[in-house]
Amino acid sequence: MSDYDVIVVGAGFGGPVAAKKCAEAGLSTLILERAAVPGEKVISSLTIPFYGFLFGPSWIRDGDPPIERPVSGIRNFFVKEGKTFAKDCSFRVPRPFGPRVSIGYTTYCRPFCTWLADRAVEAGAELRTSVTAVDVIKENGKVQGVVTDRGEELRSRMLLDSEGLQNLLGIKAGIRKRYLPEVVELCLLLDFEMPKEEIDRVCGYNLEYFWGMPEEEIIAPLGYGSAVYIFPYRESIHMTIGCFLKAEDEVAPAVRTLDAYYERFFQTDRWQSEYAPHTKLRARIWDTCPIYAGLHPEMREMPTFTDNMLLLGDAAGMEAAAIADGVPTAWFSAEIAADTTIEALKAGDTSADFLSRYDQRLRAHPLITALITDPHRRDLKYAAINVSEKEMRKRVHNGWGFGMMKHLTWPVTKAVVGSMWRKPSIPFRWMNMFNRYYKLYR
Amino acid sequence: MDESLRQFEDIPGVVWVPPPEEFITVDRDACTGCGDCVRVCLASVFRLREGKAEVARLERCMECAACFFVCEPGAVDFQWPKFGTGYRSEWG
Repeated sequence: MSDYDVIVVGAGFGGPVAAKKCAEAGLSTLILERAAVPGEKVISSLTIPFYGFLFGPSWIRDGDPPIERPVSGIRNFFVKEGKTFAKDCSFRVPRPFGPRVSIGYTTYCRPFCTWLADRAVEAGAELRTSVTAVDVIKENGKVQGVVTDRGEELRSRMLLDSEGLQNLLGIKAGIRKRYLPEVVELCLLLDFEMPKEEIDRVCGYNLEYFWGMPEEEIIAPLGYGSAVYIFPYRESIHMTIGCFLKAEDEVAPAVRTLDAYYERFFQTDRWQSEYAPHTKLRARIWDTCPIYAGLHPEMREMPTFTDNMLLLGDAAGMEAAAIADGVPTAWFSAEIAADTTIEALKAGDTSADFLSRYDQRLRAHPLITALITDPHRRDLKYAAINVSEKEMRKRVHNGWGFGMMKHLTWPVTKAVVGSMWRKPSIPFRWMNMFNRYYKLYR
Repeated sequence: MDESLRQFEDIPGVVWVPPPEEFITVDRDACTGCGDCVRVCLASVFRLREGKAEVARLERCMECAACFFVCEPGAVDFQWPKFGTGYRSEWG
Protein backbone atom coordinates (compact mmCIF):
# COMPACT_ATOMS: atom_id res chain seq x y z
CA MET A 1 0.00 0.00 0.00
CA SER A 2 1.45 3.37 -1.00
CA ASP A 3 1.25 6.52 1.07
CA TYR A 4 1.52 8.66 -2.07
CA ASP A 5 1.32 8.26 -5.81
CA VAL A 6 4.46 10.35 -6.21
CA ILE A 7 7.24 11.44 -3.88
CA VAL A 8 9.52 14.19 -5.16
CA VAL A 9 12.83 14.60 -3.39
CA GLY A 10 14.12 18.17 -3.39
CA ALA A 11 12.44 21.55 -3.80
CA GLY A 12 15.17 23.24 -5.80
CA PHE A 13 14.51 24.33 -9.38
CA GLY A 14 13.35 20.99 -10.82
CA GLY A 15 11.38 19.25 -8.05
CA PRO A 16 8.49 21.73 -7.70
CA VAL A 17 7.99 21.82 -11.49
CA ALA A 18 7.56 18.03 -11.61
CA ALA A 19 5.41 18.04 -8.46
CA LYS A 20 3.03 20.72 -9.72
CA LYS A 21 2.33 18.82 -12.90
CA CYS A 22 1.75 15.55 -11.06
CA ALA A 23 -0.56 17.22 -8.53
CA GLU A 24 -2.54 18.88 -11.32
CA ALA A 25 -3.07 15.47 -12.88
CA GLY A 26 -4.78 14.41 -9.64
CA LEU A 27 -1.89 12.37 -8.25
CA SER A 28 -1.24 12.55 -4.52
CA THR A 29 2.17 14.19 -4.48
CA LEU A 30 4.62 14.81 -1.64
CA ILE A 31 7.73 17.00 -1.89
CA LEU A 32 10.47 16.40 0.65
CA GLU A 33 12.92 19.27 1.12
CA ARG A 34 15.90 18.97 3.43
CA ALA A 35 16.19 22.74 4.02
CA ALA A 36 13.87 24.69 6.31
CA VAL A 37 12.99 27.02 3.42
CA PRO A 38 13.12 25.94 -0.26
CA GLY A 39 16.17 27.37 -2.01
CA GLU A 40 18.14 28.46 1.03
CA LYS A 41 20.63 25.67 0.36
CA VAL A 42 20.87 26.43 -3.35
CA ILE A 43 23.85 28.57 -4.28
CA SER A 44 24.51 29.99 -7.70
CA SER A 45 25.45 33.12 -9.57
CA LEU A 46 22.33 32.69 -11.55
CA THR A 47 21.19 34.06 -14.85
CA ILE A 48 18.37 31.83 -16.02
CA PRO A 49 18.64 31.83 -19.83
CA PHE A 50 15.70 33.01 -21.89
CA TYR A 51 15.12 29.60 -23.46
CA GLY A 52 14.22 28.19 -20.04
CA PHE A 53 11.32 30.63 -19.88
CA LEU A 54 10.32 30.27 -23.53
CA PHE A 55 10.34 26.48 -23.73
CA GLY A 56 9.96 25.57 -20.04
CA PRO A 57 6.80 25.43 -17.93
CA SER A 58 4.13 27.80 -19.26
CA TRP A 59 3.09 28.81 -15.73
CA ILE A 60 6.56 30.20 -15.07
CA ARG A 61 6.54 32.04 -18.40
CA ASP A 62 3.06 33.46 -17.75
CA GLY A 63 3.62 34.02 -14.03
CA ASP A 64 5.42 36.62 -11.94
CA PRO A 65 8.55 34.90 -10.64
CA PRO A 66 10.89 36.93 -8.42
CA ILE A 67 13.54 37.99 -10.93
CA GLU A 68 16.32 40.41 -10.06
CA ARG A 69 17.30 41.99 -13.39
CA PRO A 70 16.93 41.30 -17.11
CA VAL A 71 20.20 40.62 -18.89
CA SER A 72 20.53 41.49 -22.56
CA GLY A 73 24.25 41.16 -23.15
CA ILE A 74 27.63 39.80 -22.19
CA ARG A 75 30.65 42.06 -22.12
CA ASN A 76 33.96 40.25 -22.31
CA PHE A 77 36.94 42.10 -20.88
CA PHE A 78 40.56 41.15 -21.19
CA VAL A 79 43.00 41.85 -18.43
CA LYS A 80 46.58 42.73 -19.27
CA GLU A 81 49.05 43.93 -16.68
CA GLY A 82 46.20 44.84 -14.39
CA LYS A 83 44.42 46.91 -17.04
CA THR A 84 41.06 45.81 -18.36
CA PHE A 85 39.85 46.51 -21.83
CA ALA A 86 36.83 45.41 -23.81
CA LYS A 87 37.43 45.07 -27.47
CA ASP A 88 35.58 42.48 -29.46
CA CYS A 89 33.82 39.33 -28.36
CA SER A 90 30.89 41.08 -26.74
CA PHE A 91 27.32 40.10 -27.27
CA ARG A 92 24.23 42.26 -26.84
CA VAL A 93 20.61 42.27 -27.96
CA PRO A 94 20.54 45.51 -30.01
CA ARG A 95 18.34 48.39 -28.98
CA PRO A 96 15.42 49.06 -29.22
CA PHE A 97 14.80 45.33 -28.53
CA GLY A 98 17.15 45.03 -25.56
CA PRO A 99 16.97 45.09 -22.60
CA ARG A 100 13.27 44.36 -22.91
CA VAL A 101 14.10 41.32 -25.02
CA SER A 102 16.58 39.54 -22.80
CA ILE A 103 18.96 36.63 -22.98
CA GLY A 104 18.24 35.82 -19.35
CA TYR A 105 17.20 37.00 -15.91
CA THR A 106 19.34 37.09 -12.80
CA THR A 107 17.77 35.86 -9.59
CA TYR A 108 18.45 34.78 -6.01
CA CYS A 109 17.78 31.09 -5.49
CA ARG A 110 15.86 31.23 -2.22
CA PRO A 111 12.96 33.46 -3.34
CA PHE A 112 12.80 31.76 -6.73
CA CYS A 113 12.71 28.19 -5.39
CA THR A 114 10.21 29.25 -2.70
CA TRP A 115 8.03 30.77 -5.43
CA LEU A 116 8.18 27.52 -7.43
CA ALA A 117 7.39 25.40 -4.37
CA ASP A 118 4.45 27.67 -3.48
CA ARG A 119 2.97 27.13 -6.95
CA ALA A 120 3.30 23.34 -6.51
CA VAL A 121 1.54 23.55 -3.14
CA GLU A 122 -1.25 25.66 -4.67
CA ALA A 123 -1.72 22.90 -7.23
CA GLY A 124 -2.28 20.42 -4.43
CA ALA A 125 1.16 18.99 -3.69
CA GLU A 126 2.16 18.53 -0.07
CA LEU A 127 5.48 20.10 0.92
CA ARG A 128 7.44 18.96 3.94
CA THR A 129 10.49 21.06 4.74
CA SER A 130 13.36 20.24 7.12
CA VAL A 131 12.89 16.59 6.17
CA THR A 132 15.74 14.69 4.57
CA ALA A 133 15.27 11.54 2.54
CA VAL A 134 18.18 9.47 3.86
CA ASP A 135 17.60 6.24 1.96
CA VAL A 136 15.36 4.47 -0.53
CA ILE A 137 13.07 1.62 0.45
CA LYS A 138 13.95 -1.34 -1.75
CA GLU A 139 11.90 -4.51 -1.98
CA ASN A 140 12.61 -7.32 -4.42
CA GLY A 141 15.29 -5.08 -5.89
CA LYS A 142 12.79 -2.32 -6.66
CA VAL A 143 12.50 1.15 -5.20
CA GLN A 144 9.27 1.55 -3.20
CA GLY A 145 9.74 4.93 -1.54
CA VAL A 146 12.09 6.65 0.87
CA VAL A 147 13.17 6.57 4.49
CA THR A 148 13.31 9.99 6.16
CA ASP A 149 15.72 11.32 8.78
CA ARG A 150 12.97 10.68 11.34
CA GLY A 151 13.05 6.98 10.48
CA GLU A 152 9.67 7.21 8.81
CA GLU A 153 9.08 4.94 5.81
CA LEU A 154 7.16 6.75 3.08
CA ARG A 155 5.95 4.56 0.24
CA SER A 156 5.09 5.80 -3.20
CA ARG A 157 4.22 4.33 -6.57
CA MET A 158 6.78 6.62 -8.20
CA LEU A 159 9.86 8.35 -6.82
CA LEU A 160 11.15 11.47 -8.60
CA ASP A 161 14.67 12.26 -7.51
CA SER A 162 15.69 15.89 -7.91
CA GLU A 163 18.21 15.81 -5.11
CA GLY A 164 21.00 17.61 -6.94
CA LEU A 165 24.49 16.63 -7.96
CA GLN A 166 25.45 14.76 -4.79
CA ASN A 167 23.08 12.02 -6.00
CA LEU A 168 23.02 10.18 -2.69
CA LEU A 169 19.64 8.52 -3.34
CA GLY A 170 20.58 7.55 -6.89
CA ILE A 171 23.71 5.89 -5.50
CA LYS A 172 21.71 4.13 -2.77
CA ALA A 173 19.20 2.95 -5.38
CA GLY A 174 22.17 1.38 -7.16
CA ILE A 175 21.84 3.20 -10.47
CA ARG A 176 24.29 6.10 -10.17
CA LYS A 177 27.90 6.63 -9.19
CA ARG A 178 29.55 9.66 -7.68
CA TYR A 179 30.29 12.29 -10.32
CA LEU A 180 33.98 12.23 -11.18
CA PRO A 181 35.84 15.30 -9.89
CA GLU A 182 36.81 16.12 -13.50
CA VAL A 183 33.21 17.11 -14.29
CA VAL A 184 32.52 19.04 -11.10
CA GLU A 185 33.33 22.72 -10.75
CA LEU A 186 33.62 24.37 -7.38
CA CYS A 187 32.53 27.99 -7.52
CA LEU A 188 33.34 30.61 -4.92
CA LEU A 189 30.76 33.39 -4.99
CA LEU A 190 30.78 36.85 -3.52
CA ASP A 191 27.61 38.89 -3.11
CA PHE A 192 28.03 42.67 -2.86
CA GLU A 193 25.46 45.31 -2.11
CA MET A 194 25.65 48.08 -4.72
CA PRO A 195 23.23 50.98 -5.34
CA LYS A 196 20.92 50.41 -8.29
CA GLU A 197 21.93 53.62 -10.07
CA GLU A 198 25.60 52.61 -9.92
CA ILE A 199 24.84 49.18 -11.38
CA ASP A 200 22.79 50.86 -14.10
CA ARG A 201 25.73 53.12 -14.87
CA VAL A 202 28.53 50.54 -14.70
CA CYS A 203 27.11 47.38 -16.22
CA GLY A 204 23.48 48.13 -16.94
CA TYR A 205 21.93 44.98 -18.31
CA ASN A 206 25.18 43.21 -19.18
CA LEU A 207 26.99 40.35 -17.55
CA GLU A 208 30.69 41.20 -17.31
CA TYR A 209 33.27 38.48 -17.87
CA PHE A 210 36.97 39.04 -17.31
CA TRP A 211 39.57 36.96 -19.11
CA GLY A 212 43.32 36.91 -18.93
CA MET A 213 46.30 34.87 -19.98
CA PRO A 214 47.75 32.66 -17.24
CA GLU A 215 50.42 35.20 -16.24
CA GLU A 216 47.67 37.60 -15.19
CA GLU A 217 46.59 35.08 -12.54
CA ILE A 218 42.96 36.02 -12.55
CA ILE A 219 41.66 32.69 -13.82
CA ALA A 220 42.26 29.81 -11.43
CA PRO A 221 44.68 27.11 -12.64
CA LEU A 222 41.99 24.52 -13.23
CA GLY A 223 39.45 27.12 -14.20
CA TYR A 224 38.69 25.15 -17.31
CA GLY A 225 36.90 27.79 -19.28
CA SER A 226 35.75 29.90 -16.39
CA ALA A 227 36.40 33.60 -16.22
CA VAL A 228 35.78 36.05 -13.43
CA TYR A 229 32.08 36.65 -13.73
CA ILE A 230 30.09 39.65 -12.51
CA PHE A 231 26.31 39.29 -12.59
CA PRO A 232 24.20 42.41 -12.01
CA TYR A 233 21.20 41.92 -9.74
CA ARG A 234 18.68 44.59 -8.79
CA GLU A 235 20.62 46.26 -5.99
CA SER A 236 23.56 43.94 -5.69
CA ILE A 237 26.11 42.10 -7.78
CA HIS A 238 27.12 38.45 -7.65
CA MET A 239 30.65 37.42 -8.57
CA THR A 240 32.01 33.97 -9.28
CA ILE A 241 35.40 32.36 -9.73
CA GLY A 242 35.32 28.64 -10.46
CA CYS A 243 37.76 25.80 -10.51
CA PHE A 244 37.34 22.15 -11.48
CA LEU A 245 38.04 19.67 -8.72
CA LYS A 246 40.40 17.70 -10.90
CA ALA A 247 42.01 18.01 -14.31
CA GLU A 248 44.69 15.98 -16.00
CA ASP A 249 45.25 13.96 -12.85
CA GLU A 250 45.87 17.03 -10.78
CA VAL A 251 43.55 17.75 -7.89
CA ALA A 252 42.71 21.40 -7.61
CA PRO A 253 45.30 23.18 -5.51
CA ALA A 254 42.30 25.01 -5.79
CA VAL A 255 40.45 26.15 -3.90
CA ARG A 256 42.58 27.62 -1.25
CA THR A 257 43.85 29.84 -3.99
CA LEU A 258 40.47 31.05 -5.25
CA ASP A 259 40.59 33.85 -2.70
CA ALA A 260 44.04 34.81 -3.96
CA TYR A 261 42.62 35.09 -7.47
CA TYR A 262 39.92 37.40 -6.22
CA GLU A 263 42.60 39.51 -4.59
CA ARG A 264 44.41 39.81 -7.92
CA PHE A 265 41.20 40.72 -9.68
CA PHE A 266 40.39 43.38 -7.11
CA GLN A 267 43.63 45.15 -8.14
CA THR A 268 42.49 45.60 -11.74
CA ASP A 269 41.61 49.10 -12.86
CA ARG A 270 37.98 48.47 -13.73
CA TRP A 271 37.17 46.99 -10.35
CA GLN A 272 39.10 49.71 -8.56
CA SER A 273 37.48 52.63 -10.34
CA GLU A 274 33.95 51.43 -11.13
CA TYR A 275 33.02 48.85 -8.54
CA ALA A 276 35.13 49.15 -5.41
CA PRO A 277 33.89 52.63 -4.32
CA HIS A 278 30.25 51.49 -4.44
CA THR A 279 30.26 47.91 -3.20
CA LYS A 280 29.99 46.35 0.21
CA LEU A 281 30.59 42.62 0.70
CA ARG A 282 27.50 40.84 2.00
CA ALA A 283 28.12 37.12 1.48
CA ARG A 284 30.94 34.69 0.69
CA ILE A 285 29.47 31.37 -0.32
CA TRP A 286 30.34 28.41 -2.52
CA ASP A 287 28.93 25.30 -4.09
CA THR A 288 29.77 22.55 -6.55
CA CYS A 289 28.19 22.05 -9.95
CA PRO A 290 28.48 19.06 -12.37
CA ILE A 291 29.00 21.31 -15.37
CA TYR A 292 30.73 18.82 -17.65
CA ALA A 293 28.73 15.68 -16.75
CA GLY A 294 27.28 15.70 -20.26
CA LEU A 295 30.73 15.87 -21.85
CA HIS A 296 32.02 12.77 -20.10
CA PRO A 297 30.74 9.61 -21.83
CA GLU A 298 30.73 7.48 -18.69
CA MET A 299 28.90 10.12 -16.65
CA ARG A 300 26.48 10.94 -19.45
CA GLU A 301 25.47 7.31 -19.90
CA MET A 302 24.55 6.68 -16.26
CA PRO A 303 20.88 5.63 -16.01
CA THR A 304 18.22 8.26 -15.38
CA PHE A 305 15.55 5.75 -14.43
CA THR A 306 14.94 2.41 -12.78
CA ASP A 307 11.80 0.59 -11.65
CA ASN A 308 9.45 3.13 -10.00
CA MET A 309 12.03 5.93 -10.09
CA LEU A 310 13.14 8.79 -12.35
CA LEU A 311 15.98 11.25 -11.86
CA LEU A 312 15.91 14.83 -13.05
CA GLY A 313 17.99 18.00 -12.99
CA ASP A 314 21.56 17.83 -11.71
CA ALA A 315 20.85 14.37 -10.28
CA ALA A 316 20.44 13.21 -13.88
CA GLY A 317 23.38 15.21 -15.28
CA MET A 318 21.16 17.92 -16.76
CA GLU A 319 23.76 20.66 -16.70
CA ALA A 320 24.33 22.81 -19.79
CA ALA A 321 28.07 22.51 -20.42
CA ALA A 322 27.63 25.22 -23.05
CA ILE A 323 26.90 27.98 -20.58
CA ALA A 324 27.28 26.40 -17.15
CA ASP A 325 23.65 26.60 -16.21
CA GLY A 326 21.31 23.90 -15.02
CA VAL A 327 17.95 25.58 -14.52
CA PRO A 328 16.28 25.29 -17.97
CA THR A 329 17.47 21.72 -18.37
CA ALA A 330 16.13 20.93 -14.88
CA TRP A 331 12.76 22.41 -15.92
CA PHE A 332 12.67 20.51 -19.21
CA SER A 333 13.58 17.21 -17.53
CA ALA A 334 11.09 17.87 -14.70
CA GLU A 335 8.21 18.32 -17.14
CA ILE A 336 9.19 15.23 -19.11
CA ALA A 337 9.54 13.26 -15.85
CA ALA A 338 6.07 14.37 -14.74
CA ASP A 339 4.50 13.47 -18.12
CA THR A 340 6.13 10.06 -18.02
CA THR A 341 5.03 9.52 -14.41
CA ILE A 342 1.42 10.43 -15.20
CA GLU A 343 1.37 8.04 -18.17
CA ALA A 344 3.01 5.26 -16.20
CA LEU A 345 0.55 5.50 -13.32
CA LYS A 346 -2.38 5.67 -15.69
CA ALA A 347 -1.13 2.57 -17.46
CA GLY A 348 -0.43 0.90 -14.12
CA ASP A 349 3.08 0.13 -15.31
CA THR A 350 6.02 1.79 -13.55
CA SER A 351 8.59 -0.77 -14.62
CA ALA A 352 11.99 0.33 -15.90
CA ASP A 353 10.90 -0.99 -19.27
CA PHE A 354 7.97 1.44 -19.43
CA LEU A 355 9.97 4.30 -17.92
CA SER A 356 12.71 3.98 -20.53
CA ARG A 357 10.63 6.36 -22.64
CA TYR A 358 11.74 9.08 -20.21
CA ASP A 359 15.33 8.68 -21.32
CA GLN A 360 14.32 8.57 -24.97
CA ARG A 361 12.41 11.82 -24.56
CA LEU A 362 15.31 13.53 -22.85
CA ARG A 363 17.52 12.56 -25.79
CA ALA A 364 14.92 13.66 -28.33
CA HIS A 365 14.44 17.09 -26.75
CA PRO A 366 15.64 19.80 -29.15
CA LEU A 367 17.75 21.58 -26.54
CA ILE A 368 18.83 19.19 -23.78
CA THR A 369 21.39 17.12 -25.65
CA ALA A 370 22.74 20.11 -27.56
CA LEU A 371 23.27 22.01 -24.31
CA ILE A 372 24.75 19.28 -22.14
CA THR A 373 27.23 18.11 -24.78
CA ASP A 374 28.43 21.48 -26.09
CA PRO A 375 32.25 21.60 -25.75
CA HIS A 376 32.95 25.27 -26.55
CA ARG A 377 33.19 26.45 -22.98
CA ARG A 378 35.51 23.59 -22.08
CA ASP A 379 37.71 24.41 -25.06
CA LEU A 380 38.50 27.71 -23.42
CA LYS A 381 40.60 25.85 -20.93
CA TYR A 382 43.10 24.98 -23.62
CA ALA A 383 43.04 28.53 -24.80
CA ALA A 384 43.98 29.75 -21.36
CA ILE A 385 46.74 27.22 -20.91
CA ASN A 386 48.71 26.99 -24.08
CA VAL A 387 47.72 29.20 -26.95
CA SER A 388 48.31 32.76 -28.00
CA GLU A 389 46.30 35.69 -26.79
CA LYS A 390 44.79 36.01 -30.25
CA GLU A 391 43.58 32.42 -30.22
CA MET A 392 42.24 32.90 -26.70
CA ARG A 393 40.13 35.83 -27.88
CA LYS A 394 38.82 33.86 -30.79
CA ARG A 395 37.72 31.12 -28.45
CA VAL A 396 36.11 33.56 -26.05
CA HIS A 397 34.24 34.92 -29.05
CA ASN A 398 33.05 31.39 -29.88
CA GLY A 399 32.22 30.50 -26.30
CA TRP A 400 30.73 33.72 -25.01
CA GLY A 401 30.44 36.25 -27.82
CA PHE A 402 28.50 36.38 -31.05
CA GLY A 403 30.15 33.05 -31.93
CA MET A 404 27.66 31.47 -29.51
CA MET A 405 25.06 31.99 -32.18
CA LYS A 406 26.82 29.48 -34.40
CA HIS A 407 26.23 26.54 -32.12
CA LEU A 408 23.09 27.64 -30.27
CA THR A 409 21.01 28.99 -33.15
CA TRP A 410 20.15 25.59 -34.61
CA PRO A 411 18.86 23.92 -31.40
CA VAL A 412 16.97 27.08 -30.40
CA THR A 413 15.45 27.31 -33.89
CA LYS A 414 14.35 23.69 -33.65
CA ALA A 415 12.70 24.44 -30.30
CA VAL A 416 11.00 27.56 -31.71
CA VAL A 417 9.64 25.66 -34.72
CA GLY A 418 8.51 22.79 -32.49
CA SER A 419 6.67 25.19 -30.15
CA MET A 420 5.01 27.04 -33.03
CA TRP A 421 3.97 23.76 -34.62
CA ARG A 422 2.10 22.86 -31.45
CA LYS A 423 0.78 26.37 -30.83
CA PRO A 424 1.09 28.91 -33.67
CA SER A 425 0.20 31.86 -31.42
CA ILE A 426 3.08 31.18 -29.04
CA PRO A 427 5.29 34.12 -30.16
CA PHE A 428 2.69 36.49 -28.71
CA ARG A 429 3.06 34.74 -25.36
CA TRP A 430 6.81 35.18 -25.62
CA MET A 431 6.58 38.89 -26.38
CA ASN A 432 4.12 39.23 -23.53
CA MET A 433 6.56 37.54 -21.23
CA PHE A 434 9.46 39.82 -22.16
CA ASN A 435 7.26 42.86 -21.61
CA ARG A 436 5.81 41.66 -18.35
CA TYR A 437 9.15 40.59 -16.88
CA TYR A 438 10.61 43.95 -17.84
CA LYS A 439 7.75 45.66 -16.01
CA LEU A 440 8.24 43.35 -13.03
CA TYR A 441 11.82 44.53 -12.91
CA ARG A 442 10.97 48.20 -13.30
CA MET B 1 18.80 36.32 16.35
CA ASP B 2 18.29 32.76 17.51
CA GLU B 3 21.13 31.99 19.92
CA SER B 4 21.64 28.50 18.63
CA LEU B 5 22.66 29.82 15.19
CA ARG B 6 26.35 30.07 14.37
CA GLN B 7 28.22 32.47 12.14
CA PHE B 8 31.83 32.84 11.08
CA GLU B 9 33.58 36.07 10.31
CA ASP B 10 35.28 34.80 7.16
CA ILE B 11 32.01 33.44 5.73
CA PRO B 12 29.57 36.36 5.84
CA GLY B 13 25.98 35.95 4.67
CA VAL B 14 25.57 32.44 6.06
CA VAL B 15 24.21 31.07 9.33
CA TRP B 16 24.45 27.51 10.58
CA VAL B 17 22.01 25.47 12.61
CA PRO B 18 24.16 22.92 14.45
CA PRO B 19 23.45 19.39 13.17
CA PRO B 20 22.41 16.68 15.63
CA GLU B 21 25.23 14.38 14.54
CA GLU B 22 28.27 14.15 12.29
CA PHE B 23 27.21 13.84 8.67
CA ILE B 24 30.67 13.59 7.12
CA THR B 25 32.96 10.84 8.33
CA VAL B 26 36.32 9.51 7.19
CA ASP B 27 37.04 5.80 7.11
CA ARG B 28 40.56 5.78 8.56
CA ASP B 29 41.33 2.36 7.12
CA ALA B 30 40.42 3.42 3.59
CA CYS B 31 42.07 6.86 3.84
CA THR B 32 45.43 7.06 2.08
CA GLY B 33 46.32 10.40 3.63
CA CYS B 34 46.62 12.08 0.23
CA GLY B 35 45.15 15.30 1.59
CA ASP B 36 42.87 16.01 -1.38
CA CYS B 37 39.88 16.63 0.91
CA VAL B 38 41.96 19.09 2.91
CA ARG B 39 42.96 20.94 -0.27
CA VAL B 40 39.53 21.29 -1.84
CA CYS B 41 37.57 22.28 1.25
CA LEU B 42 36.93 26.00 1.29
CA ALA B 43 35.59 25.75 4.84
CA SER B 44 38.74 24.06 6.22
CA VAL B 45 36.65 21.25 7.63
CA PHE B 46 39.41 18.65 7.33
CA ARG B 47 42.92 18.26 8.72
CA LEU B 48 45.59 15.59 8.49
CA ARG B 49 46.62 13.86 11.67
CA GLU B 50 49.08 10.97 11.82
CA GLY B 51 48.91 10.59 8.06
CA LYS B 52 45.12 10.35 7.90
CA ALA B 53 42.38 12.85 7.19
CA GLU B 54 39.91 13.68 9.89
CA VAL B 55 36.89 15.93 10.23
CA ALA B 56 37.86 18.80 12.48
CA ARG B 57 35.50 21.75 11.91
CA LEU B 58 32.28 20.34 10.55
CA GLU B 59 30.34 23.30 11.94
CA ARG B 60 31.59 25.40 8.97
CA CYS B 61 30.54 22.94 6.24
CA MET B 62 28.60 24.34 3.25
CA GLU B 63 27.56 20.83 2.13
CA CYS B 64 29.11 21.18 -1.35
CA ALA B 65 30.49 17.62 -1.13
CA ALA B 66 33.75 18.53 -2.89
CA CYS B 67 35.50 16.22 -0.39
CA PHE B 68 33.21 13.37 -1.39
CA PHE B 69 33.88 13.89 -5.11
CA VAL B 70 37.68 14.09 -4.86
CA CYS B 71 38.25 11.19 -2.48
CA GLU B 72 39.58 8.53 -4.82
CA PRO B 73 39.48 5.59 -2.38
CA GLY B 74 35.99 6.63 -1.27
CA ALA B 75 37.02 7.09 2.34
CA VAL B 76 34.93 10.23 2.81
CA ASP B 77 31.32 9.36 3.58
CA PHE B 78 29.02 12.29 2.88
CA GLN B 79 25.40 12.38 4.07
CA TRP B 80 23.04 15.29 4.61
CA PRO B 81 22.70 17.00 7.97
CA LYS B 82 19.32 15.97 9.37
CA PHE B 83 16.16 17.83 10.42
CA GLY B 84 16.76 20.99 8.39
CA THR B 85 20.08 21.75 10.08
CA GLY B 86 23.33 22.90 8.49
CA TYR B 87 23.93 26.09 6.57
CA ARG B 88 21.31 28.63 5.52
CA SER B 89 21.81 31.57 3.20
CA GLU B 90 19.58 34.23 1.73
CA TRP B 91 22.18 35.21 -0.84
CA GLY B 92 22.67 32.07 -2.92
